[in-house]
Amino acid sequence: MANKAYRPTAVITHWLIAVSIFFLFISSWWMLALPLPGPEFQFRAFPFQLHKNLGITLVFLLFLLLYVRLRHRPVPEQSPAMKPWMHKLAAIDHVILYLVIFACCISGYISSSFSGWGTTLWWSVDLYHWGWEDEDLNMLFSDIHLWTCWALLGLIAVHISGAIYHAFGNDGIVRRMLRL
Amino acid sequence: MSENVEHLETGPAWASALGVVAIVLGVLLVAAHGNEWITQYTIPAVGETVSELPPADCPQDELEEEGLTVAQCEQMVSNLQSIRVSRPDWFRSSQLVVSAVGTGLAFASILVGAALVNYRRWAAGAAVVVFGALVAVDVVTFITAVQTGPILRAMYLWDALLWFCLHLMMMLGAIVGAQHEQTA
Repeated sequence: MANKAYRPTAVITHWLIAVSIFFLFISSWWMLALPLPGPEFQFRAFPFQLHKNLGITLVFLLFLLLYVRLRHRPVPEQSPAMKPWMHKLAAIDHVILYLVIFACCISGYISSSFSGWGTTLWWSVDLYHWGWEDEDLNMLFSDIHLWTCWALLGLIAVHISGAIYHAFGNDGIVRRMLRL
Repeated sequence: MSENVEHLETGPAWASALGVVAIVLGVLLVAAHGNEWITQYTIPAVGETVSELPPADCPQDELEEEGLTVAQCEQMVSNLQSIRVSRPDWFRSSQLVVSAVGTGLAFASILVGAALVNYRRWAAGAAVVVFGALVAVDVVTFITAVQTGPILRAMYLWDALLWFCLHLMMMLGAIVGAQHEQTA
């Protein structure tokens, strides 16, 4: 019997990342329609802090997932349903997906660091504010954040399409990421 | 954890298909209900702060940073005020409870979906219960929005109807699947 499934830590981390990413997308679309911040308008404070906290936590979860996946590598799926081009597409999609999640989170953090607003991690630890208020750098990294996130959405669509294809084909491949 | 090394045998095709749909929609629904919870938490009720919001604060640098016009910036405040004045007193607390329950059930949908794909004997019965509870949440959301006014109805009814149809189909699929397994 070969080790075909992912480790429970990898499975749980994968699904926490999935839920967090979709929450970050939906909540960001909503919170950017809130009134601009000002002395009378503080509606963005809580959602923005939550957004930043989840994004920072996501980076830690991503490193945990990568660590577990690289340390405990299941045997590649040998099912006839998994054609060679699918193996290649899955590998490429995963590598780019990890890179883009990282780029999306880090660009958001750097943009925030040049915005003049501080970050309190989960309302308990004030993170060291190494940046300074710089409108140009804030805009640059904000644009990178925006475009990497749109790219991430496209990559997720490919990722989910593959999972749904294999689940509808009932070939057992998606079970690897669903077993504890 | 012993299943980590076992052969990944296949279950019925209907369970695998229904399970992956439950997982994907469950992930989206956690985000949707979570966002609704934050929406209600963030936007204070009329009377909690002031009944009328002050004029919009639209500095030029902020407008350029976010790619907004002055009209859009002012409209953001109007949109917020329209939500505040459209919410009956009970709506905010009701939505906080419904969205919290919905978030929990959406997580349950992901777990049940995984059990369907992996095919556990209890999965079909659990799916009927969880998807049925999600249908109930959608019905409550729909009825709640109907009791408000045209502004909140326009915001909530279509989403509630769409989720209701999706969860109803999933529940019926689970019922038929469970019956099929009993007769097989």
